[in-house]
Amino acid sequence: MRMTIQQVKEKYQTELMVLPGVVSVGIGLSEGETVIKIGLDGRHPDTEKALPKALEGYRVVSQDTGTIKAR
Amino acid sequence: MAEDIKSIGRVLQRVCNDLLKKQNVVATGIGYKTSAGERSLNLSIICSVEKKLPGIQLNSKDLIPKQIDGITTDVVETGRIRALNTHTQRHRPAPGGVSIAHRDVTAGTLGCIVKKQGQRVILSNNHVLANSNVAGIGDAILQPGPADGGQFPGDHIANLLEFVPINLSGGIGLPSDCPIGNGFAAILNLLAASTGSRTRLQAVRVQAEDNRVDAAIAKPLDDNDISADILDIGAIAGMTPGVLGMAIQKSGRTTEYTTGTIEQIDVTVNVQYGGGQVGRFTDQIMAGAMSQGGDSGSAVLDNDRNLVGLLFAGSDTTTIINRMENVFSALDLSL
Repeated sequence: MRMTIQQVKEKYQTELMVLPGVVSVGIGLSEGETVIKIGLDGRHPDTEKALPKALEGYRVVSQDTGTIKAR
Repeated sequence: MAEDIKSIGRVLQRVCNDLLKKQNVVATGIGYKTSAGERSLNLSIICSVEKKLPGIQLNSKDLIPKQIDGITTDVVETGRIRALNTHTQRHRPAPGGVSIAHRDVTAGTLGCIVKKQGQRVILSNNHVLANSNVAGIGDAILQPGPADGGQFPGDHIANLLEFVPINLSGGIGLPSDCPIGNGFAAILNLLAASTGSRTRLQAVRVQAEDNRVDAAIAKPLDDNDISADILDIGAIAGMTPGVLGMAIQKSGRTTEYTTGTIEQIDVTVNVQYGGGQVGRFTDQIMAGAMSQGGDSGSAVLDNDRNLVGLLFAGSDTTTIINRMENVFSALDLSL
């Protein structure tokens, strides 16, 4: 049976979170499709290049969120 | 000219109440008439309106006469006029959405009033009411917060009752001297994962326990000093889980009333707490830009005024929100 996007995110988030510049991993919408969203604190070309296009069939999309601070 | 102003003032005094009754008029005064973008030397009665409309769209009783007792009038569009930020002022009773903080913290937002074992208490963030784990139970909470002029003992509204400690060792489990090496091992692991390879590199250590909430409660000195309403929003209707695409609203100390949309759920995020401290949070909600520093602690509601979350962090383009159901279970709260 196909894993849910929550299960896939759970499975890979630890590895995703240690990539240089990654500050968040979540589940969002992109062009009407549920995707795994990666937040980056600025431009990180190496990380952007290294991010898989998809994990277990779910699309991976990155966005520049900037540094996230307690406010 | 002083004579002119005096005589116009007398006329204005007589007619201003009638003018202010007209649709859209928010203020009246005396000033130089502006014609075709140029200010003239022609003293006139100026009516400020929320929105300038063509006469044809107004009832005749709402039209402003071209002249009043021989004095010309002018109509300028100013938009709605509101009192300057009331969210940073002292309020008794204090509603949700206003400035509050531990006496050693600058200022955050009083989220809302909730119940702990039947008693009404103030809900906000740990980093607002408990100084990021550093405060002692019973410490004084000020409304407004110190950054907004709150002083002890005059503005002492409550005492810290309980907080959920935040694990600030975030980024956690990593050898701090080698983030790059770890990152590259992880990149290789991901490539392996996406190509289906079974060979995995073992550089990532087990993470310490993640945070779910940045939350604390304070007990008011007098129950009459707190209000169940949220400023600019009103009474809380209930509670509902946040879902992708949900329209949300909040009332906060800095950006006051703002709205947004839930853009991500199930978010794992590293949050900077200053001094190099990082807290990793899981099961968070992410919205777009709808907050700034000082809005921390704001209650986030859906458009039917159901509680959805507790705002605590963000960047220029994001706002990070704890799920309210996690806050309620961590502190054993009810509505």
